[in-house]
Amino acid sequence: MIKVHIRSFARFRELFGDRFEVEVCQPATIRSVVQAVGQRNRDGLQELMDGEGKVKRSVILLINRERITGEGRENHPVAEGDEVAIYPPVAGG
Amino acid sequence: MIRITREEFDPAGLLEEARSAELGALVSFLGIVRDDGIERMDLEAHEEVAEQDLFRIRKEAIARFGVHRVDIVHRIGSLSVGDHIVMIIVGAPHRKAAFQGCEYVIDQIKESVPIWKKEYTARGSRWVPGEHE
Repeated sequence: MIKVHIRSFARFRELFGDRFEVEVCQPATIRSVVQAVGQRNRDGLQELMDGEGKVKRSVILLINRERITGEGRENHPVAEGDEVAIYPPVAGG
Repeated sequence: MIRITREEFDPAGLLEEARSAELGALVSFLGIVRDDGIERMDLEAHEEVAEQDLFRIRKEAIARFGVHRVDIVHRIGSLSVGDHIVMIIVGAPHRKAAFQGCEYVIDQIKESVPIWKKEYTARGSRWVPGEHE
């Protein structure tokens, strides 16, 4: 198991907390980290994952402040000590 | 100037600071909390990433439109109706580039910068949906 630091914001902060750690099995991916975050709240998984168990496209993800985008982003590796940020769609300006 | 702040800012003062002899056009955008029956609005940001994004957007506006100056000030924290949310000032030798640059900056902020708004009314609260949801 590895520990990953999570930061979440706005609606997701209210559901999951603003800063916390999750433990996931190796090899860890974005998908396994998002699943671990979703399990912190009764409604969490349906906020983050679609009906097929994939991370919703509307969920914005960063590892160490770099956005992780593209079709294969769920399989992007996550390492011990990484900071994963989870956002709902932005609404500034 | 790129700044994310909890403090009120002075639009006239920012415009005055942006003036310089080479800039024949200064285009500004001022976003204000609209009276939609709300009592107040909380703005939240992932500040480190939002600031990094604003610097990137400024760099892109300069590269794409040839503008010479881009200032962006964005408030966070608790705001009331009539408060300023964001000010963008884009300076260029001529107006066309300044208008295009300013529109580009606000569109990019709405699309990608990690800032969120929560509105409070007498009946409760809600997160404002993004334009790109």
